[in-house]
Amino acid sequence: MAKERSGVIHELLRKAELLKQGAEARVYRAQFLGRSVIVKERFAKRYRHPGLDDKLTHRRTVQEVRSILRCRRGGISAPVVYFVDHTFHCIFLEEILGSLTVRDHIAFTQQSDSCEDRELEQLAQRVGQILAKMHDEDVIHGDLTTSNMLLRRGQEDKESDLVLIDFGLSYISSLPEDKGVDLYVLEKAFLSTHPNTEALFKVLLKSYTASSKKSSAVIKKLDEVRLRGRKRSMVG
Amino acid sequence: MHHTHELELFPDRKVTQVLFQEVKNAAELRQIAVDGQINAALINPTMLVHPLQVLVAANKAVHLQNTGKMKTRSLNSEIIFNLSPTNKISEAFKRFGISDGDDSVMVVMVHDKNESQLVEDIVTKVDGRQVPVEELSSLSDSANIRKLYKVCPQEETCGTLLDAVICRMATKDVM
Repeated sequence: MAKERSGVIHELLRKAELLKQGAEARVYRAQFLGRSVIVKERFAKRYRHPGLDDKLTHRRTVQEVRSILRCRRGGISAPVVYFVDHTFHCIFLEEILGSLTVRDHIAFTQQSDSCEDRELEQLAQRVGQILAKMHDEDVIHGDLTTSNMLLRRGQEDKESDLVLIDFGLSYISSLPEDKGVDLYVLEKAFLSTHPNTEALFKVLLKSYTASSKKSSAVIKKLDEVRLRGRKRSMVG
Repeated sequence: MHHTHELELFPDRKVTQVLFQEVKNAAELRQIAVDGQINAALINPTMLVHPLQVLVAANKAVHLQNTGKMKTRSLNSEIIFNLSPTNKISEAFKRFGISDGDDSVMVVMVHDKNESQLVEDIVTKVDGRQVPVEELSSLSDSANIRKLYKVCPQEETCGTLLDAVICRMATKDVM
């Protein structure tokens, strides 16, 4: 069956609720097999050569899905993958219900008057731990921000679950440099999104260092990458 | 008793699951399925965690049939193949298809009309007691499922066994 031109989407997506449109993909919410799902559609890029576009898009889709599965196998919470449509490059993922982004959680907690330091520190520790676990599985997230981390309300009195999402730029690598860059991306996003959180991020890194078996090489690279960045003198 | 779900991606294609226990004619059923006299997939229910597992397999099968990319020769065999974590078709049938001595069977049919006649036909063919599909979990052999899908305890800290199984089914072709 000939693959239809880009722009033609499933009936399902036509009726589904579009949540986000990025440069790379559209994200929808829909019902699928009786569950609430998120559908991530990597649409065709018409400015690219079609043969290349198809290969690239396919590769990105495959990398995303492989990273998610690797995380889950390592006990790191990431959405369940229900179905991958390789003809339209759509990934059908579990919708994490009853959740709040870490970004919003930090923002709300900082706004409220109650004593937030301890609570946010504990959160930072947990984030450090989960990222250490992820890097120990050699998964590079590629887009670490507090918007890509969800706090899912736990059942009954259990603690809320920290879930990583949006593995669209992720890949597998054992190189400390790649892990260092991953943390650098988070540091930049974290500090620019949440004012006055330098100490909090230090707690995160401390927790990461304590939890990962390979952390010293990674932190060393992180320091090197920090010296590189924008508006940084590379004079030796 | 039986369970029917219309595939959201393929309107008019419905998946009906009918579960039987105390089955006495598994060998005969297997033979007539092979001969093409039943248009259904006969699955070993001890390898199933939940009806959703079947829906995921069936959805993928219909998708691959529509795009001309099935790995096996029929939709029904493709459903069984999709349940398996490996790419060996014969192994999929051995583990997920029914064997001559089995005493329980899950019958899965993909169809486009109302299922009542189909279910009736199946019930007459199976020498066994129809039970509600909801009882599937009581038939699951979790230990064997974990072994076959290679699910370690670590993975079950971030999800259920069903989640682990579905993920593998959905990503088998690219892992």
